[in-house]
Amino acid sequence: MSDPALGLTMLALIVIVIMMGFPTAFTLMGLGMVFGYIALYDPSHPWLDNRVFDLMVERTYGAMNNDTLISIPLFVLMGYVMERGALVDKMFYSIQLAFRRVPASLAVATLIVCTFWGIASGLVGAVVVLMGVIAFNPMLKAGYDVKLASGVITAGGTLGILIPPSVMIIVYAAVAGQSVVKLYASAMFPGFFLSFLYLVYIIGWALINPKIAPPLPPEQQKVPVSEWVRKFAQAYSRNMMVGLLLAAVMPGKAFAIENDGRRLSYAVIWKNLLAALFPVILSAVTLWGIWWYVVIHQQADTQATAGMVIRQQQASPATASPADQDKPQELGSAESDASSDQPQEAEGVEQVGTPEFLKQGAAAPSESGPPQGFFTYFWLTVAATALLLLWYYWKLEAESFELLKLLISSVMPLGILTIVVLAVILFGITTATESAAIGSAGAFILALQAGTFSWERMKQSVFLTAKTTAMVCWLFIGSALFSGVFAILGGQQLVETWVLSLNMTPIQFMILSQAIIFVLGWPLEWTEIIVIFVPIFLPLLKHFQIDPILWGTLVFVNLQAAFLSPPVAMSAFYLKGVAPKHVTLNQIFAGMMPYMIIVIICMVFMYIWPGMTLWLPNYLYGGG
Amino acid sequence: MNIQKFLLTADHISTWAGKAVAWLIILLMTTVCVEVFKRYILNMPTAWIFDATNMMYGTLFMMCGAYTLAQDAHVRGDFLYGSMKPRTQATLDLILYILFFLPGVIALIKAGIDYAGDSWRIQEHSNVTSNGPAVYPFKTVIPIAGVLVLIQGVAEIVRCIVCLKTGEWPERLKDAEEIDVVEQQLAGSTYVDEESRKRAIESVHEIDDAAHARGLGDRAVEEVGRHPKGEGK
Repeated sequence: MSDPALGLTMLALIVIVIMMGFPTAFTLMGLGMVFGYIALYDPSHPWLDNRVFDLMVERTYGAMNNDTLISIPLFVLMGYVMERGALVDKMFYSIQLAFRRVPASLAVATLIVCTFWGIASGLVGAVVVLMGVIAFNPMLKAGYDVKLASGVITAGGTLGILIPPSVMIIVYAAVAGQSVVKLYASAMFPGFFLSFLYLVYIIGWALINPKIAPPLPPEQQKVPVSEWVRKFAQAYSRNMMVGLLLAAVMPGKAFAIENDGRRLSYAVIWKNLLAALFPVILSAVTLWGIWWYVVIHQQADTQATAGMVIRQQQASPATASPADQDKPQELGSAESDASSDQPQEAEGVEQVGTPEFLKQGAAAPSESGPPQGFFTYFWLTVAATALLLLWYYWKLEAESFELLKLLISSVMPLGILTIVVLAVILFGITTATESAAIGSAGAFILALQAGTFSWERMKQSVFLTAKTTAMVCWLFIGSALFSGVFAILGGQQLVETWVLSLNMTPIQFMILSQAIIFVLGWPLEWTEIIVIFVPIFLPLLKHFQIDPILWGTLVFVNLQAAFLSPPVAMSAFYLKGVAPKHVTLNQIFAGMMPYMIIVIICMVFMYIWPGMTLWLPNYLYGGG
Repeated sequence: MNIQKFLLTADHISTWAGKAVAWLIILLMTTVCVEVFKRYILNMPTAWIFDATNMMYGTLFMMCGAYTLAQDAHVRGDFLYGSMKPRTQATLDLILYILFFLPGVIALIKAGIDYAGDSWRIQEHSNVTSNGPAVYPFKTVIPIAGVLVLIQGVAEIVRCIVCLKTGEWPERLKDAEEIDVVEQQLAGSTYVDEESRKRAIESVHEIDDAAHARGLGDRAVEEVGRHPKGEGK
């Protein structure tokens, strides 16, 4: 048998053996070993002296030293801890109350919780089962259409594997040799765009046909207001903000109010005032963060990166604010996403040029100061936010105040942690590994603070992390050996020449490759697809001049569609397991169909308008 | 039963080693956090941190390979597998263990011993930074992890044979599972009614099994003893 023929046999065998259900990591290892031994057999050497052994151990050591994969255990740990720390049903309850006036409020709340949960973890099964218990029955009781209710849970549940920080993206980055950070940035918009499309679909459908999602009865729409808040509002003002401010100055009347047998104290008043001010604080911090990143941080960055390439200062309308000159650079080599071992060096470099000299002229948008019109838009946003806040506080009565407190206690911790982790990665302030470590430490702190964590749960998270990491990384070892042998046998070459001989246009190739991955997504899990089959396509992307980042993001979205396609979608079976008896699998599948079509529409959008995927990575890290 | 004792002993060895090493993740997290603080706030980066974190991560996942195998948590294409009878599963597994698993893992051990041996001989140090930490203990992890996986693999082969004889999969050690989170979340819930909560907690493992078999293996739900994926019981 010729070598390429051996290679193709190997490829055919791997598909068959995977379908037979043997652990994939060892299938890959064994197949790679056997075929590699035959391929590299040299009769002049003793039989134990075969180069395939070197290949094997080098690939293993490569996986052990892979500085992309190292962030997997940390992100996985973060997910497991968050899952155990955050209380989903409280979150669902408060979000549902917040959206009580929106059509199909329960479905909207389900989708939002799923999106949040998706940020925290990537487990499809657990989300679907949980939401099936927490949200599905209430929706059915409220008279929601079965298809609407089941669709939103299954579709929302699969979002988790797409929305960063997702393990799938790290594995793809390791396989494709791309930067994790860039891939995260590129998956950001499609991920949220997809959940936005879902949202539009749900609300749109409910508006057109209100019968499918009747509003909750009024008594369930009421926000429970505690006794002291009611008395407090009577004593001071109907508006809680005014009331709390007054109470902070003249607390006499407040001290007369009893709460659980104890009189109100200063501490309680201040705590509640702080809670009431939370929206202001949040908007201020967000806006300041944007300002800091665009105006201050980038100037500092420019100094750091442009030190080597000193260019003439160009006249440009977008000049930097004076702030950057007296603001010394605090963050060593902020931009580098490789693990920079020598920050000292970067700092040395940045002192070479004078700030004025280096301010302008670098090629990437992220290095050329605030984009044109930034200041106009920024101040417009500030004004709009201020108006919104003013309007909000104008109407802040006892009920909305209680709702705000509910939201703060249930959603805020998880929300803040995820935003911080994502922002820190995306803005290139630390590397993905470092953000993951901070994120998991943060998850521990939040879980402890929420009082939901115990030694038992910590042990569980640690052991589950170990198992998941071992599963992914052993698979990676297996596939590294397999693809090495596949290339040595010339299988890869054969596939490439064959595909090129088909004379496809890039768009044809794009559709073909995505279609193959879509079909593979039916029986297989994402791990196997990304680790075994994606590497076969990767070298071909260059021939067709397709950006591996765009292609990869399309794959991530594509797998969403694959995991939602009947009759193989696992999430449907999870939901069926917890659903009441009268709900049939066919109803669930019928409910999933529209979402599958939405995913495909999303992919078409992404293809026609690659800017949606590529704008953010290009803006943050410079040219593609 | 002696065979059962052997199986559980093998499981214990793998599980113990895996769980002991699993705590490296906490160490890894702490190390990176401290390093972030030192580098970005104090401006005092540590040179050997890159090697140290890599070693922790590498040791972590290599040593947990056997543990993962003992819990049957390595990903498998369980689309068809999940709907087969235990005997068919065992036959397939037995053949494939001998055909693919043994050559692959034995080769890993052999190559690992040579590789680590070379490294010990020259007392290799990392060259990522000058004066880097010693690499030979880290490379020794490869053959050790290989041997652990091999022992567990032999136990799995014995499991297949037992299953062929009795028609039922022998038991595994109990351990934390991903789907357990449902139980924990529901136990702490305040807005879910008692009855549906209880029902969900009781049936969650069966639901997990059935979902992996995609409804093909209806018997899968009734039968205790075979667990397609990630289900160490």
